[in-house]
Amino acid sequence: MGLSTAMEIGKNGLNIYRVAQEVTGENIANVNTPGYSRQRVILESAPPTTANGFPLGTGVRIATVERYYDGLLQQQLTNAQTTQGYDTTKSTVLQQIEPTFNEVAQDGLGAAISGYFGAWQDLTLNPAGSAERQTVLSRAQILTDNFHSVSTALNDSISIQNDTLVPLTNDINATLKNIAQLNSQIRTTELVSGNANEIRDQRDQLVRDLSQQIGITYTENSDGTTDIKYADGGEALVTGSAAGTFSLDKTTDPNKFAVQLTPAGGTVAATVAPVTGQLGATVALRDTIIPGYLQQVNDLATTITSQINTQHKLGSDLTGAGGIDFFDGTATDAATFKLNPLLTNTNQIAASSNALLTGDNSNALKLAQMQNLKLMSGNTSTFNSYFDSLVSKVGLDVSSSKNTEAQDIAFTRQLTTLRESNSGVSLDEELTNLIKYQRSYQASAKLITTATEMMDTVINMIR
Amino acid sequence: MRVTSNMSADTSLYNIQQGRAKLDRLQELTSSGTAVNRPSDDPINTRLLLDIVDKVKSTDQYSSNITKSDIWQQFTSTALTGMSDTLQQAKELAGTLVDGITDTALRAGVVSQLQALKQQMIDMGNTQTGDQYIFGGANNATPPFTNSPVQLPPPAAQNPDFAFYTGDESNINVEIGNNAAPMTMNIPGNQILTADTATSQNYGSTNILQAFDDMIYAVQANDVTGIRASSQALGEGAKQIFNAITDVGSRMTRLDSFTKMNENTRNTLMTVYSNTQTVDYAKLGVELSQQQVAFEASLSATAKLSQLSLLDYL
Repeated sequence: MGLSTAMEIGKNGLNIYRVAQEVTGENIANVNTPGYSRQRVILESAPPTTANGFPLGTGVRIATVERYYDGLLQQQLTNAQTTQGYDTTKSTVLQQIEPTFNEVAQDGLGAAISGYFGAWQDLTLNPAGSAERQTVLSRAQILTDNFHSVSTALNDSISIQNDTLVPLTNDINATLKNIAQLNSQIRTTELVSGNANEIRDQRDQLVRDLSQQIGITYTENSDGTTDIKYADGGEALVTGSAAGTFSLDKTTDPNKFAVQLTPAGGTVAATVAPVTGQLGATVALRDTIIPGYLQQVNDLATTITSQINTQHKLGSDLTGAGGIDFFDGTATDAATFKLNPLLTNTNQIAASSNALLTGDNSNALKLAQMQNLKLMSGNTSTFNSYFDSLVSKVGLDVSSSKNTEAQDIAFTRQLTTLRESNSGVSLDEELTNLIKYQRSYQASAKLITTATEMMDTVINMIR
Repeated sequence: MRVTSNMSADTSLYNIQQGRAKLDRLQELTSSGTAVNRPSDDPINTRLLLDIVDKVKSTDQYSSNITKSDIWQQFTSTALTGMSDTLQQAKELAGTLVDGITDTALRAGVVSQLQALKQQMIDMGNTQTGDQYIFGGANNATPPFTNSPVQLPPPAAQNPDFAFYTGDESNINVEIGNNAAPMTMNIPGNQILTADTATSQNYGSTNILQAFDDMIYAVQANDVTGIRASSQALGEGAKQIFNAITDVGSRMTRLDSFTKMNENTRNTLMTVYSNTQTVDYAKLGVELSQQQVAFEASLSATAKLSQLSLLDYL
């Protein structure tokens, strides 16, 4: 009532605009914070009174400090991030494997196979020649070395994927715990007063980070907490302030950890089969993709072993004795592929098919001709074309995963741009607001000064 | 749509990255000179390229086989020609003996000449290329022919412990072309010099070395009938050698045509290979400078735009 009401309104204005400046200041300071959503003050008039005989408002007040947030975009972003996490991991690992199969740029297993059969060809021209016989053994050794190197590279990759599961699950567990903590903070804060905007932003960022590693579905509860469920099985990952944990079963198979999940609020770890996100990609690479390539290399090694051995044993060597196994018959895959340890002398190479004619070359000829026989893939392709198909397949897998990764990145980028457009801080805007609120602050201060002068006038009147 | 400064920064960065990636790829193509540097660059053409490389290696192996085979044929041809000449000399000598020789000293002279000629035949039968005896069949590590002892009662069949030829009659077959029948590289010595003991008498059935021995014995005994008979046998022998020379000639012709075929195949394959794999430098040069301009433009635009700010004016 009276002048003091005017002063009250002025003081109110000062307070409110100071707070508005603070919010603007908050936005400006956080312009580069990842995941930050800009906030704004929602101003409304204070409730009116009828002190003057008619209703008149009593100034301004802050209804709420609101953040710009699009729930749908967040949903889309989480899904896009999961796909991107899967494809990026797959693409990176496949590109690391590709050099092993890069037959276009350097001589590898394919050249070794050609070289080995070439040695048999040379032997047909001089079956008793010691240099030619030694070459057959040397080329066989080169073939062995190549098989070993390819096999080692693939096996190493598989065990690296296995080992990667440890830091990955630790990371996921830390994120889940943080989300659960933030959940309880949000709930407490919002019970007491208003919005916990910054904490919500942090939680949204964590949810997006988590979605890169595993596929998730989430729901917002009315008390402000977010419940997160695992997309590959439906188990609860975060319920309120309780978080689940991922663990690894390292004892059943030390080379192939099994991923297990203890749901939020539960106590028993159950095995899960990750399919999405980085976790899903790592498991798929370890269990399906890389072993697929390895299997083909192993098939090549075992078929070469058995076919060569069968034909070699039909022949006779330089001493007239029957041919023994050329390659070690106990080998089961490319890693154990090697020359027969009992084949120590070049005399033991069975080039002849007649025990009495040690200088005959017909067995060597048959062995050389084996390069052109269709002995792989159900008798539809030769050794060389089988390997060439494998190289081509690896190339196709790598190139298509590169393309998918590029598409995912473009899509995620588009969504991120939309989110930034909606929730990002624009410095131009904030600076304009700064000026605006400063002027309003000045005006409110002027109001108080004027009201003070009016008070002085009244007081001077009495004197 | 509302645009913030962060969005502009992101977009600029993204586009600079894209530009750099393109420049990087062009640089790789230019400096390596090959279009396909890894299987993922072009999976379909990778298959084609690897296939071609396999076939080229195959062709090279056949070429190598043909070259070695050719050397073998040439040695064979030289030896056979030598044998033919020696037989010619023997026939001429026999021609002067048709009516017998009464002079003992003259007879001894003729006998030693004949023995020398026979030894020549045997030496040529033991021709080697490298460390392989070309007329030995599968037993080509030891000399296939040995000379009979000086005094050999005819016919050699009565002396079963001795055999002129200790090689065998197997063929050495080698591959000279894809899906082509393997070529027999050698001629077993017994089919040439001791053909009546051979299983397949491809050139004739005369035992030339035996004919020499018979001639020597007949001259020593001054047996005119014997001399005439051996003379005839030597004549048959000459025809036999001639047939063998023709056969070697036809083999060399076959090798020749396969050499040409392999060469043509190889050239065709290498042409396809380089069409796929070699980069077009002119095209790359243009693309490189285009991309460079685009990249410079994006860098310049980024620099200019990022300097603008409301703060400069407040």
